[in-house]
Amino acid sequence: MCCSHELKETAQPLTMVPAFMEHIKGMQFFDPHIHMTSRTTDDYQAMAAAGITAVIEPAFWLGQPRTGVDTFKDYFNSLIGWERFRSSQFGIKHYCTIGLNSKEANNEKLAEAVMEILPLFIYKEGVVGVGEIGFDDQTPAEEKYYRAQLELAKEAGLPVQIHTPHRDKKKGTTRSMDIAIEHGIDPKMVIVDHNNEETVKEVLDRGFWAAFTIYPFTKMGNERMVEVVKQYGSERIMINSAADWGISDPLAVPKTAALMHESGIDSNDIHLVTFRNAITAFAQSGQINEADFEMVKQIDQSLKFNGSTVLRGGQQPFRNAQSTIIS
Amino acid sequence: MEPYYYDSALVSNRIHAIIAAHATPQALNWLQQQLALLQEAKTTQRFNITFTAMPRFTGKTPIPDTHIPEANNFFIYGYTLDRLARIWWLLQLPSEDRSRYIAAIEDLFSAADMNEQITLYGALPLLAYPGEWKLRTAEGVRSNIGGVLEAIMVHNPYPAKYLDEPAWNQLVMKAIFTDKPVHLITGLDERANLQLAQILRDYAHERWAAGRKINPMLWRLIAPFIDNEMMPDINRIWASDQIVDKEAAALACAHTGFAPAKALLQQSPELAGAIADQSLTWVTVAEKASVL
Repeated sequence: MCCSHELKETAQPLTMVPAFMEHIKGMQFFDPHIHMTSRTTDDYQAMAAAGITAVIEPAFWLGQPRTGVDTFKDYFNSLIGWERFRSSQFGIKHYCTIGLNSKEANNEKLAEAVMEILPLFIYKEGVVGVGEIGFDDQTPAEEKYYRAQLELAKEAGLPVQIHTPHRDKKKGTTRSMDIAIEHGIDPKMVIVDHNNEETVKEVLDRGFWAAFTIYPFTKMGNERMVEVVKQYGSERIMINSAADWGISDPLAVPKTAALMHESGIDSNDIHLVTFRNAITAFAQSGQINEADFEMVKQIDQSLKFNGSTVLRGGQQPFRNAQSTIIS
Repeated sequence: MEPYYYDSALVSNRIHAIIAAHATPQALNWLQQQLALLQEAKTTQRFNITFTAMPRFTGKTPIPDTHIPEANNFFIYGYTLDRLARIWWLLQLPSEDRSRYIAAIEDLFSAADMNEQITLYGALPLLAYPGEWKLRTAEGVRSNIGGVLEAIMVHNPYPAKYLDEPAWNQLVMKAIFTDKPVHLITGLDERANLQLAQILRDYAHERWAAGRKINPMLWRLIAPFIDNEMMPDINRIWASDQIVDKEAAALACAHTGFAPAKALLQQSPELAGAIADQSLTWVTVAEKASVL
């Protein structure tokens, strides 16, 4: 997408409902990769309004390296605790995957300590996989901890969410799959993330799930994504935003659904790649109950109407973003 | 010193009977296996895995509300099966070694997800060495997670029995700030104190200045301390156009020995009569206020 077009869009008054919302009225979305700890309540509000009913937050790198195991512990705790609660305030069901990311696997002393505490967290409720793990620089240390975590996932019967590298992606993706198979992991338990036109064929051919990240400038654009779905269909394909602390878009999934709709892609295919496939893949953890999607909304409603358990006294979870008055 | 201040074996059996009435045979069997494994291994790790994995094996069937007076007045309120099974499991943790027991419980708190936190704080009245959990309770009151706060505040006899006055006052203020059902706090009237009444009066003035509503339950805590200084506020809510505020003023007047307040109540024979025949109580005010 052209940058000047982007600038023009944000300069317009905020009161208008974005055009893409027209195409996705009444649809439900599942974003299986988004880092909500880096996002604001405005994002949660916009996501709920756009039909996102559930998300998965993979454990990842925080933008700078951690210096001790306790900050990992607190981070894992926030994924199963505070962030899950924050999300519920907006009627969005929050799941997570827990793992040691590839970048920090290179700090071996710390990595050892993190491996020790991982079993404490992967058995928690709502932990739907081990992730995001895999390769970044493709170093021997990364490989060592990738293998160790595959074993953990196998023992716990959990799906694996694989981060594929930015550099040397094609080889890194192939190698990630080879190693998973070497450890006796069924490809249907593995979600290979951050695919592109170059990697998707092999991932699908070998029976793995192929996830695509719609992320401006550095990963997939959604026009390219439309072409991928036209070519490969909707079987075992899912899309996510991977929105984080970088320039990214928490509405990438609903926006891509709208674009697919405009491009004439069948609504059943849209439903599969923006909702159903992610649930099928991650529900293999036994930790996703779709009835909870409605439940979290009801809880939210009760918060809104009798104010019994809201964040702070009397605070409503939904504020009017268009109003000049802050009350 | 005895670890438990109540008959923990008896209570464990009572809770197990409730679990048995709601669990599948497979889940019960799994719990028995876990108990056997724990008694054999006697390790904290073994204990932790079962505690954490509980919902995967028990499910979340709702449990009817039940009062267990012999368990320090423990109240099963809004429970699901996994939560009750975790409570039972906590009673299986060996407690003879005081420091080991305390470390194990603190570790559970520090790695707890939201439901585990709710369970652990709700279990406070049943934990061994009850004097040891005061700071942990105060820490829980600092939480911003509604369910955690309710686990400490609602039908939980631990805080009223063990918290010192400043910590108790924090708990009550936080309950009012976060719109929790204040009338369900155990020991609310017994622990009312002048310091808290003064804090709440200042708080009411702040809310009025901001044009915000005031939880009428606040006047229940002020009632025993009404004096010349407090009386103008009582007059103000008596004159409110919200009937629930006027009812709260009437109840406050009925619960004080301060003569001008008593006289105020006599101005409305209707409200005085409703209080006398119990059709107007703090509970009816709380219920009315919660739907506003």
